[in-house]
Amino acid sequence: MSSTVTRVNGKAPAESAPEQVPMLPPPVWVDDNPSLRQITDDIARPLEVRPGTGWWICFGLAVAALINLGGMVAYLVAKGIGIWGLNNSVGWAFAITNFVFWIGIGHAGTLISAILLLFRQQWRTSINRSAEAMTIFAVMCAGIFPAIHVGRPWLVYFIFPYFPNQRGPLWVNFRSPLVWDVFAISTYFTISLVFWYLGMIPDLATLRDRAAGGIKKFVFNVLSLGWSGSHRTWSRYEIVSLVLAGLATPLVLSVHSIVSMDFATSLLPGWHTTIFPPYFVAGAIYSGFGMVLTLLIITRYTMNLQRYITVRHLDKMAKVTMLTGMIVSYAYLTEFFAAWYGGNLYERYHFVNRATGPYAWCFYLMVLCNVITPQLLWFKKIRNSVALLFVVSILVNIGMWFERFVIIVVSLHRAFLPSGWGMFYPTIYDIGILVGSFGLFFTCFLLFIRYLPMIAMWEIKGVVGLGAHKMALSSQEQEEPVNA
Amino acid sequence: MPERFLVATFTDSETLLTAVRAVRQNSFRIYDVFAPYPVHDLDHAMGVKHSRLPWVTFVVGVLALSFALIFQFYTSVLDWPLNVGGKPDNSTLAFVPICFELTVLLSGLATVAALFLRTRLYPGKHAQGFAEDVTNDTFALVLRWRDNAFDVHRARRVLEEIGADRIREREAHT
Amino acid sequence: MSDSGVRGDGAPCKGAKHQLVQIQAPEPPVYWKSVAELHGAPRSSGEFPGGIPPASQPGTTRRDFLSLMGFTLAAAGLAGCRAPVQNAIPLLVGSDQLIPGVSDWYATTCRGCAASCSLLVKQRDGRPIKIEGNAESSIFGGGTCATGQATVLSLYDDERLRGPLWQGQSASWEEVDRHILESLQAAQASGRSIALLSGTITSPSTRAIISAWQARYPHFVHVEYDPTSLSAVRAANKESFGLAVVPHYAFDKARVIVALEADFLGIWLSPVEFARQYATARRPESTPSLHVQFESGLSVSGSNADLHLAVAPSELGLVAAALLARVVRKTGHVEPSLANDPLDSRKLDAVAEELWKHRGESLVISGSNDVAVQIVVNALNATLGNIGKTIDLAHPSLQRNGNDAAMLELVEKMDRGEVHALLMLGVNPAYDYHDPARFLSGLEKVALSVSFSDRRDETSSRVHAVCPDHHFLEAWGDAEPVTSHFSLAQPLIAPLFNTRHAQESLLKWLGHEPADYYTYLREFWQKNIFSRQQEVHDFQSFWDRSLQDGLVTAPPSHVPAEPGFHGNWKAAVASILEDQGQHQQTGLAEHYELALYESVAMRDGRHANNPWLLELPDPISKVTWGNYAAIAPAAAAKLKLADGDVIRLKTETGQIELPVLVQPGQHPRTISVALGYGRSKVGRAGQNVGVNAYPLVRVKDGHRQLNASEVTIEKTGRSEKLATTQTHFSMEGRPIVLETSLDELHQGRESNAEPALPTLWAARPEGEHAWGMAIDMNACTGCSACVVACQAENNVPVVGKGQIERIRIMHWIRLDRYYSGPEDDPVAVHQPMMCQHCQNAPCETVCPVLATTTSSEGLNQQVYNRCIGTRYCANNCPYKVRRFNWYNYTDNPQFDFNMESPLGRMVLNPDVAVRSRGVMEKCSMCVQRIQLAKNVALQGKRELADGDIQTACQQACPTQAIVFGDLKDPNSRVSQLQHSRRRYRVLDELGTRPNVSYLKKVRNPVKTT
Repeated sequence: MSSTVTRVNGKAPAESAPEQVPMLPPPVWVDDNPSLRQITDDIARPLEVRPGTGWWICFGLAVAALINLGGMVAYLVAKGIGIWGLNNSVGWAFAITNFVFWIGIGHAGTLISAILLLFRQQWRTSINRSAEAMTIFAVMCAGIFPAIHVGRPWLVYFIFPYFPNQRGPLWVNFRSPLVWDVFAISTYFTISLVFWYLGMIPDLATLRDRAAGGIKKFVFNVLSLGWSGSHRTWSRYEIVSLVLAGLATPLVLSVHSIVSMDFATSLLPGWHTTIFPPYFVAGAIYSGFGMVLTLLIITRYTMNLQRYITVRHLDKMAKVTMLTGMIVSYAYLTEFFAAWYGGNLYERYHFVNRATGPYAWCFYLMVLCNVITPQLLWFKKIRNSVALLFVVSILVNIGMWFERFVIIVVSLHRAFLPSGWGMFYPTIYDIGILVGSFGLFFTCFLLFIRYLPMIAMWEIKGVVGLGAHKMALSSQEQEEPVNA
Repeated sequence: MPERFLVATFTDSETLLTAVRAVRQNSFRIYDVFAPYPVHDLDHAMGVKHSRLPWVTFVVGVLALSFALIFQFYTSVLDWPLNVGGKPDNSTLAFVPICFELTVLLSGLATVAALFLRTRLYPGKHAQGFAEDVTNDTFALVLRWRDNAFDVHRARRVLEEIGADRIREREAHT
Repeated sequence: MSDSGVRGDGAPCKGAKHQLVQIQAPEPPVYWKSVAELHGAPRSSGEFPGGIPPASQPGTTRRDFLSLMGFTLAAAGLAGCRAPVQNAIPLLVGSDQLIPGVSDWYATTCRGCAASCSLLVKQRDGRPIKIEGNAESSIFGGGTCATGQATVLSLYDDERLRGPLWQGQSASWEEVDRHILESLQAAQASGRSIALLSGTITSPSTRAIISAWQARYPHFVHVEYDPTSLSAVRAANKESFGLAVVPHYAFDKARVIVALEADFLGIWLSPVEFARQYATARRPESTPSLHVQFESGLSVSGSNADLHLAVAPSELGLVAAALLARVVRKTGHVEPSLANDPLDSRKLDAVAEELWKHRGESLVISGSNDVAVQIVVNALNATLGNIGKTIDLAHPSLQRNGNDAAMLELVEKMDRGEVHALLMLGVNPAYDYHDPARFLSGLEKVALSVSFSDRRDETSSRVHAVCPDHHFLEAWGDAEPVTSHFSLAQPLIAPLFNTRHAQESLLKWLGHEPADYYTYLREFWQKNIFSRQQEVHDFQSFWDRSLQDGLVTAPPSHVPAEPGFHGNWKAAVASILEDQGQHQQTGLAEHYELALYESVAMRDGRHANNPWLLELPDPISKVTWGNYAAIAPAAAAKLKLADGDVIRLKTETGQIELPVLVQPGQHPRTISVALGYGRSKVGRAGQNVGVNAYPLVRVKDGHRQLNASEVTIEKTGRSEKLATTQTHFSMEGRPIVLETSLDELHQGRESNAEPALPTLWAARPEGEHAWGMAIDMNACTGCSACVVACQAENNVPVVGKGQIERIRIMHWIRLDRYYSGPEDDPVAVHQPMMCQHCQNAPCETVCPVLATTTSSEGLNQQVYNRCIGTRYCANNCPYKVRRFNWYNYTDNPQFDFNMESPLGRMVLNPDVAVRSRGVMEKCSMCVQRIQLAKNVALQGKRELADGDIQTACQQACPTQAIVFGDLKDPNSRVSQLQHSRRRYRVLDELGTRPNVSYLKKVRNPVKTT
């Protein structure tokens, strides 16, 4: 695939022959031009040495949260979801908020690995692997909530239409967005997982060949499926990667659209809105990039990979964050405008209530994080200051969680009949399970960066190898540069 | 019985490419090339034909789509039409999301499966080891010692001229 | 026999008696596996031996029928009596009269309060499980009140005594009888008096027994005592008309109703009867009567009044006097001189004008227990010529005979040690007497104290002997709520425990032979009631018919002429003015006053352990599980009080601490507190729920006053959450409850011409029926009987205070109450809201597992087994009528109410599934009743007729505000109502197309010039 990337890349800077017209120096995505062996060593090292204290501290915290999650879910299943703060007025709150939040997080990964691939963005190579991993883990976290939030979790399999159907002609309701969700989420998870694994096979082979022996060797041997680096395989492999990218791109757009339909297809003021699909997708990418930033800023330090995950990468991601952030802000405006312009009594009340009601503070927190914060990213200083970016990325995640909370709870707590109004107050279990889901996420991610190559070595090599290739070419014949 | 191969290794992709071109000009048939990453232009140089795998995607996609549509229509219109919110039994629009998802899922999985079949990748397979470090930083060009017509000395000479790093003869089971 | 509500069977005969006796086996009871085993009857196979019988069996003669019914009753008794907990259906006998799973209906008489409504009780597999009004009663009709509906649960109360107690230890009846007889002889010897202290006794046979005691014991006194009595009414009528009675009121004959602090639609005297009359006179299609309510708080009646005027209790007399003065002026006589009007004179003028316009067809009532006020009210009615028209003194009501003065005197006598024996029947003075300490000290001095209470309560835990009376569903009995309107009561189940008719105890101790009450009752009826009628000549058939019908209206023994008014109203007015004067000079005019009232749920507190009533939202405040101090918004602002702030109320008689509720419409200087809460000994559910306000009752010239004119308010700084089921009371200008004015309606400006909403969907095939409902919000008074009826019919769990604070009430039907207008003088409206059974139900589309769909007959049905509990449907329901089982509410110690105890679960309706944890539930339009009626029609080989099916809420409604029926049948009542000009559907613009439609509330404001 790097072959496709090459063309957009213009020429390597140093080698431009004196007689030709000067053109833009192509961006260099790996610092101080390491040798192929160097790359392998750098990326494989974290997997072979004992992790530093930083890793252990994070891991300890994450596992603690994960255990807490297990305990609380067990209690939940034993007692019933009455232990949450839900009530007759507000039937969904934290669980569904977390679900939408985590699904959203996942989207950045697919965007980076698939969409940027199709757009031939070379800077993705250093970050796509970990971004994809993030997607998988986020979708895992998301997947918990639909399962545990139902009243009778042990019957949740009712929601799958499966063969042989033990209930005669009784299938599921294909008109229900929840069923669409089931299909969307499972498809999304499967395809992402396959894509991720496929991309890892060559690196697994590399690790296999590095491994001295023992269990490690055995595992990598099995996982790498006997990959030998044969170019006949490589060429098919690249085709298939492109195909998968082509499939994943509409998929990722569809997933959050479908999630948004959980709300859009209902008739609740604040849910019943046609702009939800694009609005949710933008929000998803926004929050996803927030999370990628958080994760990479942590890992490039803990695993000292600054050479491969450069500030230039962060800068790119910050720009995407800013863009999607502003799309989201625009969606907020549109909602309010539509409510005012549409003149629907209930719709209007809902939006007035959103901004002035008992949950107004959530709304303003959301505006602060999702409308104001992205504006900071106009400044290159901030984009290039890792510390500030980290703060911004955290704010983005907080903001997006509250966006979902506002949409779900504020719409429910004051619906059509005032007699049915009521407030939602979270219990310790609502909060504990939210924290627990982060535990699961970070546990998985920390194990990933410990045991699997978190940067796609072969793609980096491709990019670097490219440099060399260019040198040679440019010395011979001229080539038309195409700028990305 | 084991076959014999001539294996030339290179340290950079450029020399590999020139070697490949040269070997083919000298009308040697290339058994395979091994590289740590997909080297650009190598397809062209080796004359590898464009893969037909995307057809798998297309065919399976079409099948999956029609299956999803028929399945949903059957369950909600034929098998047991229930009055759900007064909506018509055949709410085709509501079936679209699932049709799409199933199409993507099945065609995606099929494509990958096809890839593994075609390239004979499977868990536990022993990788062909013609040269060291081909998954790290080495490029290897492999010629098969097919018949007596194969002039090993000439081949060696060609490769040496281009500047192969090492040239070895190996026996291997294929 | 059919059980589609069509009665006509179910009368036990003399046979029944013997069976019952036979059953009451000597302790320890003999256990058996089945009735067959007991009677040695041949076993029969098959689920329905002899097949399902047709609705009427021409073959059987009356006697077979009756004897079989006798057996039915006996067998029925068995089901419950000996093995109350682990009873499967033991009736395997091939009886074509009693079929397992088929219910019987028996007529009896309610003893939930002294109003003594006629009832039909559903008995299923030997257990009474549902109470309904007896539609054949000319007085009460088919409706009931919330309390009446809930009484069936009290039958299965764990706290009931298993047998008699002597000195607090359980003893045998013989033992207890022996002790008591000895003591009674001692009493006779000593010459000290024997006192029977009872609540109002409406049972003529019981009265006969009591008079027998009078004859037997010279020193016998009988005192009737009601915690909230009308003794001043009786006193005033004695003075005004020479009759110490509570008259029988006819609200249906009144064109103008003026009520002074009398919640006649909620709790006053005979609410079911009055609500029924009221509704008939208030049909907006004709000319509805005008209703003016003067009161300090906001009661059910007040919320329905055309004109609601807030007055302090101390001003009540002035209002009456002011009205009287105006009316008298119109007659041309000299009026008494009035210092000033308590409130806006123009309003009073208008009211007086209306009264005068409708002389002879108006009605003024007052709940005040002040004789002077009542005399003025009498004068008012007399001047308006209402006596004999809307007020019947010739056939007085016998529903409130309490005599406060007598009670006070009795306590004095006890204190002086003049009472040797005190028998207490249906009273609990240690709880509800205004000075319990004094009563108890008196009780100490009594040699023999006997209580017939069914539990260890505040009083019975301090007496020598407790001889538990049957629950009325286990008992024989009769009643005469209104003179010469008799009704009978019969047992629906043999006694669950070793209890005994109080009457039987009395007869035993009297030495009457035979001592059993059933025989006595029959003989009494033969002598006194049978003799007073002509149409039936054979007593047996008279008895059987009366037992089947449950009621007899005998021609009055003597018809006294309507007496003329000869009371001294001038003196009365003078004394009222004097009282008022005192207030002025003591500067109390600006003081806060206290008004005590019976709440619709708790009444006087005798049902305080009934979870259904404890969880019944107050019709006005929507507060459950406890009472509160209702205080006006203005006062709250002035005193800086908010909902839940606990305050201390001090009067000269005592003090209590309870949370504040800011109540719109409340009189700014008055604080209202509900009685009946704060029981200290009643049972697990009701123990210490709320605060006992009886200590604040004061006595004025021999009458218990439910108000105090000097109340000081202190903040405690504490705060207590009120468990409210509705937190927001404004409609926010949304078209939810639509109103129209009488003029608009009559000028035909109203029309229900809703434009049919366009649809893109093809019409679906129609079913055989299309079930629908029409709810008349003009008829609905908000009495909440439907709520408890639904709970009883559909096994709706009680969830307790904690869950209700978290907005998790389970009631399938709720009464939304909205206010409009100014906060201090709001207009209230009640809207029954249950599942609207939308034809385009939003809940159905979103359910992933098809757990809720529309039936071919238009019902929105919930499939509990399929539901996994995503709650998506509830989120998408615009009416928020779906209820989720957040926990397991059955058999879960965390929810220790009736569904936790095996005994309490006996009340469950076997036709309705008990929902498990994690499933959604909601109103099913009583689908089990629909199915039953269809089967019955099928067996009778006839078409289903309109009215065959009554939903529980519809049946319970005393004003018939709810009409259920088939919308496909153009002649059904519900279809007719679809053409009403008042008809509309809630949130119709959403395109949900509900099958439930509403009739607009009609406003008929009093024009004040």
